[in-house]
Amino acid sequence: MYKTYLKIAFRSIWKSKTFSLINVIGLSIGLSAAFVIGIMIYYDLTFDTFHADKDRIYRVVVDTQTPEQEGHSKGVPVPLIESLQAYSTGIDHVAPFFLFGFDKVTVESGLKEFDWPEDVVIADQEYFQIFKYQWLAGSSNTALENPYEVILSKSRAEKYFPGKLPEEVIGNTLIYEDSLVVKVTGIVAEFEERSDFTFKEFLSRESFRNSEKYGYIYDTSWGSINSSTQLFIKTDKFNSKVAVQAQLDALAEVHKNEEMAALGYFRSFNLQPLKSLHLNDNYGVFDNSSYRASADVLFGLGFIALFLLLLGCINFINLNTAQSTKRAKEIGIRKTLGSSKKQLVIQYLGETFILTLAAAILSLFFASLLLRVFADFIPPGLSLDLLKSPMVILALVLLLILITFLAGFYPGLVLSQFKPVAVLKNQSVLDGDKGRLRKYLTVFQFVIAQVFIIATLLVGKQINYLVNKDMGFKTESIAYIRAPSVNTSLEKYEAFKEVIKAVPEVKKLSIAGDPPASESYSGRGVSYFSEGKETHVQLQLLYGDENYLDLYGIALLTGRLPLNDSISEYVINETLMRQIGFQNPEEVIGQQFKVNNKNIPIVGVMEDFNQSSLREKIDPMAFIQDTQNSTLHFSFQANDTENWPLAIDKIQTQWKEFFPEETFNINFVDEDVRKFYSQEQRTATLLKWATGLAILISCLGLLGLVIHTTERRTKEIGIRKVLGASILQLNLLLGKEFMLLVGFAFVVAVPVSWWGMNIWLQDFAYKTALSWWVFLLSGVSLMIIALAVISIRIFATANTNPVKSLRTE
Amino acid sequence: MLIQLSNIFKWVQQGGRRVFLLKDINLEVEEGAFISIMGPSGSGKSTLLNVIGMLDVFDEGKYNFMDEPVHQLKEKHRSALYKESIGFVFQAYHLIDELTVYENLEMPLLYKKFVGSERKALVADMLDRFNMVGKKDLFPSQLSGGQQQLVGVARALIGKPKLILADEPTGNLNSKQGEEIMALFKQLNKEGVTIIQVTHSEKNAAYGNKVIHLLDGRMEKK
Repeated sequence: MYKTYLKIAFRSIWKSKTFSLINVIGLSIGLSAAFVIGIMIYYDLTFDTFHADKDRIYRVVVDTQTPEQEGHSKGVPVPLIESLQAYSTGIDHVAPFFLFGFDKVTVESGLKEFDWPEDVVIADQEYFQIFKYQWLAGSSNTALENPYEVILSKSRAEKYFPGKLPEEVIGNTLIYEDSLVVKVTGIVAEFEERSDFTFKEFLSRESFRNSEKYGYIYDTSWGSINSSTQLFIKTDKFNSKVAVQAQLDALAEVHKNEEMAALGYFRSFNLQPLKSLHLNDNYGVFDNSSYRASADVLFGLGFIALFLLLLGCINFINLNTAQSTKRAKEIGIRKTLGSSKKQLVIQYLGETFILTLAAAILSLFFASLLLRVFADFIPPGLSLDLLKSPMVILALVLLLILITFLAGFYPGLVLSQFKPVAVLKNQSVLDGDKGRLRKYLTVFQFVIAQVFIIATLLVGKQINYLVNKDMGFKTESIAYIRAPSVNTSLEKYEAFKEVIKAVPEVKKLSIAGDPPASESYSGRGVSYFSEGKETHVQLQLLYGDENYLDLYGIALLTGRLPLNDSISEYVINETLMRQIGFQNPEEVIGQQFKVNNKNIPIVGVMEDFNQSSLREKIDPMAFIQDTQNSTLHFSFQANDTENWPLAIDKIQTQWKEFFPEETFNINFVDEDVRKFYSQEQRTATLLKWATGLAILISCLGLLGLVIHTTERRTKEIGIRKVLGASILQLNLLLGKEFMLLVGFAFVVAVPVSWWGMNIWLQDFAYKTALSWWVFLLSGVSLMIIALAVISIRIFATANTNPVKSLRTE
Repeated sequence: MLIQLSNIFKWVQQGGRRVFLLKDINLEVEEGAFISIMGPSGSGKSTLLNVIGMLDVFDEGKYNFMDEPVHQLKEKHRSALYKESIGFVFQAYHLIDELTVYENLEMPLLYKKFVGSERKALVADMLDRFNMVGKKDLFPSQLSGGQQQLVGVARALIGKPKLILADEPTGNLNSKQGEEIMALFKQLNKEGVTIIQVTHSEKNAAYGNKVIHLLDGRMEKK
């Protein structure tokens, strides 16, 4: 029985090759998008799920509340560590660690040097009590007890001591920064499962107890927070989270800063469960540079996957039901020969499953292509191998069965309802089948495609707007070079500046801090008194010498620049001026801010400009003359871009002479500005792909429907042709039906996408207009694509000889 | 008594009026009979045949098939009943295009849950009897009309039915092929199979031992 089912299935699939191909490809595209995005989500959701007692492990984090905003930090004040170690109850282990970047490490035996060793932390033995490593040498019980000890991971040990067994590595000496001499006392295997804990060198905290240079490791100030100081705890076996939180609250209360609290600044210590470590945007994982998953991004991706999958399935259902009427005769015969409805439905489901399976196999191939497309989103270490994990396989099988049911059950049911008499008498069984459901589904598909198109265009428009909007200062042909962080004196840098000044292609120079717009922020709170009332203002500071404003084309509206860098004088921007209650720049000159009981006069007002991405509004800002954060900014002669590489060469040569040890790194301001929007660029890329795929799937679906309709109406077309209809008239007649669907989809898609894009644009302080022409353009383009797809098929049908089509009936 | 129809009515509603397809049909068919139903187009021949074949329902009256009251049976029982006892032959053959001759013949047996070896034997018998062994792997489209109808008859016979219902079995065939099929029916009838056929042709009707004339859904008294 099942053998003949299988045979029938293969033969009927083969008989309508085009149809089956469209069907399978449509579904496999949807499936592959779902696979790829599915494993991306799975990947990020399965970090650090293997630790023993993982529900009892927490990170202590700091949340701050200021009048302006909330802040989140993964770093804690160092004394909190000691307090919890000494007095807490309900906690089994308190494990602090400090992320630390050493410049170099020397392996004593061969005097081999390694620069910038990565993944180095300073920890104590408690760390290994919470996180259970496999010990290849040494033991977790004695690890890091004493000063000047280091535990290495297996891979790090192999790097430093190639060819040695773990036991042989024990006892060797490493020297950090030429002065810190430590002994290897343990080797651990790295976690094999997905984990954010990728540390490879663990130095004992004791080593730094009396160190001046690394003083902060035993800092005693409750006020300062460094994000590299992180604290994990493991609660006792009752997991008394509430009790621990109460102790943290008490500590936060005892050690609060009364002065700041009066101004509305509050701080609390909270527990972050281990499982939220990987996905929490507020705190980040350990440092900011490593790959971070964002729940938002995953959510967006999930949405796109869902839609593409839905499109593929709809296609599948649509084409299957359309195709099914062709099977009516077979169904009729089977029924007269005694087949039950159930048997027919099972047979049909079986056929659908074969197609689904084929699509699944094909989609594995597509998925490997897609993985490359999504490369920007994909964390290192993710590959299709993840598909092999049992959870994923189970999900896949369930998905396939679900699709089979969705796509096969309805047509199966419809078919099995056919009255055999009607079928066999060649009465049209299709009379009742107006394909209403199919039309709804097609409209739905096109709504999705249309929304994707509109979103792509609008995101593109917004990015274009952001990149090209005047920031309020000059961004073209300006570059900057940061001074080396070590071994530089201001004098040396000034001398370097003078040399660069002599390069003919360089027009203007300035030594300053950051460029006017950057990702970094330095600010301070100041007070302003007027008529006995105190206003507290958080303002952003901009540092530079007397040429800075001129170089960046920032106009001074009134007043003068600060006299020199030994006196504190502010040039404020218009926003700040308005914030302290002035409308006229002339009047604000001479007013004073109070900072730490020192008065700072306002000597000038500069034009407003954007200090960071256009997501943000313009902040109140003050410019001070200060060259401490020495960065050399300079502009090129704008009209001779072809000579820039030459000029850069010259500058680099000079750099090598002044700072032979340091790498030369030149940044262009306009590139920096573009980088502000890398997230948006990625969204745009993703959307483009999603749009392309959505259009492709929808058009495949449309093509299928057109084929079906034209086949159904072959006789009608023949009769009309005999009666004298022209090809064009026939096209109009048949195309109208489909264009109506596409048009209707457009009407639905416009408000949906308008609403969605409004939400997306809310993140931006500066937004492009949701112009009507974008909607119109996307509507028209989809219409044209649809029309092309429809016409191909209709022309072919309309051109067939009517004698032929009438005879076949 | 194989078939007993009494006071069978069948109608459809059209514009508020009842249009009768079958009107007061009374018919008794003994086992071993060969009956021809004749009448002009639209007289209800095929409808009557479908009612007898249980493919179609009627609105009023009683129908006993092998002393089972068909009008009272549930769909499942009815389906089992005709699966066991009735074979159909159609004007347009109605073979499944995707299956070979062999597979087409095998299909009714699959629905009757015959085991593999039995199926093989029965199909081989049939192929042998109809001289189609050489054609068993061909698809219907590769056969002539007469050959396709032979397969159709063979398929109807393979389940060893008591009754064969044939709806214009020769309608799509040329006269020579038609004669062959009718001769085959005659032969089958001699072997004890009851046959009811619908036909337009007096000549074909003459093969049977009783002719029923229908006009506007009514049996004409002779």
